[in-house]
Amino acid sequence: MKKISRRQFLGMTTKAGAATMFAGIFAPSASSMLGLGGVAEAATKKIKPFNFAVLTDAHLYDIADHKFDHILEKAVADVNSIKPRPDFVLYAGDLGQSGKKAELVKGKKILDKLKMPYKIIPGEHDYYLDMGKAWRKLFGDEHWSFNHNGVHFIGMNSILVPDFWTLKKLTPKERMHMMEELECHNCGAWGVGEKQLNWLARDVKRVSPDTPVVIMTHSPLWDYYPRWNFQTYDAPEIREILRKFDKVISIHGHVHQVVYNEIDNMRSCGLLSTSWPWPYPPVELEYPHIKQRRADPGDFEDGLGGHDIALNADFDAIVHWREFSDLLPDNIKKGLKV
Amino acid sequence: MKKVRKISFTAAASVIVVSSALIVASMAQAKPPRSETQVAQERAALMTAVAKGDDLWHSAKLGNNGLACANCHPDGSASNVHTWPKFQTNLGKVGTLREMINWCIAVPMQGRILESDSEEMIAMEAYATYTHRGVAIAPAKDEQHPAVPVVSGPGYPRH
Repeated sequence: MKKISRRQFLGMTTKAGAATMFAGIFAPSASSMLGLGGVAEAATKKIKPFNFAVLTDAHLYDIADHKFDHILEKAVADVNSIKPRPDFVLYAGDLGQSGKKAELVKGKKILDKLKMPYKIIPGEHDYYLDMGKAWRKLFGDEHWSFNHNGVHFIGMNSILVPDFWTLKKLTPKERMHMMEELECHNCGAWGVGEKQLNWLARDVKRVSPDTPVVIMTHSPLWDYYPRWNFQTYDAPEIREILRKFDKVISIHGHVHQVVYNEIDNMRSCGLLSTSWPWPYPPVELEYPHIKQRRADPGDFEDGLGGHDIALNADFDAIVHWREFSDLLPDNIKKGLKV
Repeated sequence: MKKVRKISFTAAASVIVVSSALIVASMAQAKPPRSETQVAQERAALMTAVAKGDDLWHSAKLGNNGLACANCHPDGSASNVHTWPKFQTNLGKVGTLREMINWCIAVPMQGRILESDSEEMIAMEAYATYTHRGVAIAPAKDEQHPAVPVVSGPGYPRH
């Protein structure tokens, strides 16, 4: 959002404290020293054009022949059919619904049908039964980065909450069950936590500011609707660490809908799920024209789909929401330039 | 002119006298106002129904494929309670919110429908309606409407 939200404001006021905590990380970038304020004007490094695909939020149940299995299979087949073929696929979390190993194994089997390599991060539905144990065994690290054709890609686990279960003596199943509710009012706000913030700061330390950056998290890196964890509590710190870059593209799952926002140098895109579409929360959108139409509950594929993101030499991204049905307004049907 | 004025004054005065007498009479015949305790009890009964509806709304037990109403309708959103009855395409007729709840249970959730006037159904309707308190009635309005914003907690008094 362009307006300063309460959380952004808090983020700013605590910046001095945070800088002490992560000494050296918040050294002023070249642009802020020059007093440019907004997005840095330096030309972004040229990259070798390519496209990549994104899938998210399959919410697979441990029930044989479940309708969501078929929708994920359809999305995988759709990604395999994209031309030109995506160089790789990113998966933004919530492969399973209740954190069961069987759900994740089933999901991996389907994702393994992708004809290109994929990288994945966890969502809360994958995680809170065994605190990510089964997920890590199947997929590896919860946060990672890699470089591709001149772009720096980052994936982080944004669904970490402070312990709400020990004092209440909740069983893992009870904990998971509470986290499964979008409007869980006892679970707390999600974030990436201090360890990952330190990792991120180290990770981007040697990456030059003119490098294009794409960051993927499960939850949005802005305050959209905290009630539903359409937020990441330490997003202001993440944005500050990434502030030195000319342009950062943030892609996130969790919202099960088309949504867009810009804060400073970060452009955020919400992604479609392959399970169910979520209604827009009771807040005003900053970009109301980038929004899908309401879905028909009688059509189980309405409002669902995958994504193809094409990057040109100047790091202009064309984000294609590949919706199975026809709920995209005309202005974004052929993709949104980000 | 003067005479007319006098007459109308007399008429107005007698209207006041008559209506005052009526008010006194109706007050004398009215039931005594409900006590604060009684009002609180009635309010609590509604909130018990809302809480029961909330639990059902979030329960996978109504369906057979793991889904609950809240999967697609968090905080009662997009149930558009203020637009019913209306023609609903999936129902194929002018239907009610209760019929739509049962359609959702039967079709996307693959469960067994509830009796329309069962305690469960009334509780579900109470929850959905309570999450839209203050939203103006708009029969057949054809757009998705969010529920009342909730900052924290269950969104209603719950004990």
